Amino acid sequence: MAISAAETEQLREAVRDLLADRCTETDVRRVMATDSGYDPELWKQLADLGLPGLLIATEHGGVGLGAEELEAVSEEIGAALVPSPFLSSSVLTATLIDAAGSEEDKRRLLPGLADGSSIGTVAVTGPAGSWTPEGVAVQANGTLTGTASYVTFGQLADVILVVARTDDGFGVFEVAPAAPGFLRTAAEVFDPTVRLSQFTFADTPARRVGTAGWEAVQKALDLSTVALAGEQAGGARKIFEKTVEYLNTRVQFGRAIGSFQAMKHLAADRLLDVESATSAARHAAADGGPGAIALAGFACAEAYETVALSAIQMHGGIGFTWEHPAHLYLRRARSGAQLFGNSRLHRERYLVSKGA
Amino acid sequence: MTSADQLREEVRAWLAAEWTGLAPAPDRWSTTPERIAWLEKVVAAGYAVPTWPVEWFGRAWPAELADVIAAEFESAGAPGARQDKYSIPANTVLAFGTEKLKHDLLRDVLTERSRTCLFYSEPGAGSDLAAVRTTAVRDGDRWIVNGQKVWTSGAKTADYALLIARTDWDVPKHKGLSYFVVPMHQPGVDIRPLVQITGESHFNEVFLTDVEILADYLVGDEGKGWRVLQTALAYERSIMGDGARASRHGSIADDLVALARERGRLADPVIRDNLATVLALRELNALNNARAKAAAEQGTSSSVMSLGKLAMSGILHAEARLRTDIAGPETLLAGDANPVADDVNFLALNAFFTSIGGGTDQIQRTIIAERVLGLPKEPEIDRDLPFRAVRRS
Repeated sequence: MAISAAETEQLREAVRDLLADRCTETDVRRVMATDSGYDPELWKQLADLGLPGLLIATEHGGVGLGAEELEAVSEEIGAALVPSPFLSSSVLTATLIDAAGSEEDKRRLLPGLADGSSIGTVAVTGPAGSWTPEGVAVQANGTLTGTASYVTFGQLADVILVVARTDDGFGVFEVAPAAPGFLRTAAEVFDPTVRLSQFTFADTPARRVGTAGWEAVQKALDLSTVALAGEQAGGARKIFEKTVEYLNTRVQFGRAIGSFQAMKHLAADRLLDVESATSAARHAAADGGPGAIALAGFACAEAYETVALSAIQMHGGIGFTWEHPAHLYLRRARSGAQLFGNSRLHRERYLVSKGA
Repeated sequence: MTSADQLREEVRAWLAAEWTGLAPAPDRWSTTPERIAWLEKVVAAGYAVPTWPVEWFGRAWPAELADVIAAEFESAGAPGARQDKYSIPANTVLAFGTEKLKHDLLRDVLTERSRTCLFYSEPGAGSDLAAVRTTAVRDGDRWIVNGQKVWTSGAKTADYALLIARTDWDVPKHKGLSYFVVPMHQPGVDIRPLVQITGESHFNEVFLTDVEILADYLVGDEGKGWRVLQTALAYERSIMGDGARASRHGSIADDLVALARERGRLADPVIRDNLATVLALRELNALNNARAKAAAEQGTSSSVMSLGKLAMSGILHAEARLRTDIAGPETLLAGDANPVADDVNFLALNAFFTSIGGGTDQIQRTIIAERVLGLPKEPEIDRDLPFRAVRRS
């Protein structure tokens, strides 16, 4: 289903208003300190707006929207640093079930993901963290054996999908939370707003989801990259706006520091980064091709990190403190730059799309 | 009122009947009799300046309709339409010129019967254009001009120059300026070509000794030249988006992927990394421009619009570094016998054309920070001093 630009804007504003109210910096810090790393109350409110079911077809209880609406919403989620399994459950898992699952799988799993009552995750990569076929470190041979690393919000999930090697390529498998031989360990994370787990499987019973192979996984990773790029563009814009505000109010040497050319020139360059990231993310959502997604995959990640680094520098000493939010944006930028494939991977795909 | 669809049909039919193509002019500063004849037709049809008033060759149409004309001309590859958007001299003279000046100049400028050049920059007034020292002194119904201008494109083929000159040294620098149109074909106008670092000579320096200007050729009021100049510069900025220029030999150096492949460097991981960076910079700039255009069409302003020139500077220098890295030691060589090296070196030097020309990158950043981001203005220590007392280099 496609909705008009005006309706997308309304959806974006509804999400922004909710987050302005319910996901302030104080809220983010409170949730960061919890074991689960998400706010069940906020998750329910996001569900009332239809967010977990954004991409899920209406016949399975979702809203049935597409990449452009996803990107718009993701900009707001990134701007507010929302600690939630949205990307993990509502984008990666939902898309993979849609791409790989049978009708029965969809009927059984998607409604719960759509209304937010269940939370999904996908275990893709092994310790290599490459999110490529080569990086998969779980073997399927009747049962699952091996390790999956960097599993997003893995501790929370009750719908657990695992990408594993099979005799004839790759398959997607569903593992019950209490399955024997399945162990999940929460990792200590650098960015406390994005939780990660390590999954180990020792002769763990699993059920194959559909018959799809890596192409379904890639499809889910691509849409996740679009959402992540949107989060990165939104986060970059937000910390940049905070920085420009600071440049106007912080006085040194008798002048607002924003009157110094050194600051102005940094700010102008960062504005170019922010706008370019926004263009790249929106283009990836609208275009959907491998070149556009690869471009967003590295351009948005790199822009966000650069903008967040500059923000700390431009804030000076206050930017180096835990109490200032600038480092939260840098943490999120650094985590996003590794998730679902790093810059090197996206750059290579981009070059291939350009015939190089 | 004509509808857009009717107009599109009208223009399309007109072009189908009239447009048969033109041989290119020898360079962008010159014109040909055939081109002038064509532009006469465009002016007579009302397509040259459709938003202008009817008494000045226009049709008094809104910009949306005028854009329809421009689009049809563009797809036919025909020049001359929509000069109301792009012609710096025509727009400036229409907005601020006397009736006599409009009569003397407008038609000939629109048909390129008369060519113009810009007498703006001076050796002591580049980015700080309000620091010009070329002086115009009133003498009855004439002004007498003395001074030196630089970076004048097309001076050798121009019939008129648009001049910013100082008419009062005893008021602050922005207030003592006036804007004129100077006839070029008169004694005292001494044009000397300026050789650029690329070895080319597109620009000139012009020495002005007791050059005469009719009082009617004062554009806007005496002492209000800065305001006229700002309007003229706004037209210039709106047309200076794409600073890219192809290489001289048109060698494979223009296509980075092809160059890397031909030189067997496409598998080099460092080259690949830089190649992705450079291709992405170009694509991101194109996407930004498309987004700015879409915002403009919806009537919303976009901060993206002001970023194109700064982005292009970075792109051109980044491409130059990569190209040089790919070509390697061959860039030690020059000349027609080494076309790829010659192009690589030319493009590396010519990148400054965008990063210095039309306001340096540094000035652009300051403007973006102040006008787009709203950061505090740079303190100007000479803004309120009489120009006579301003420190000069």
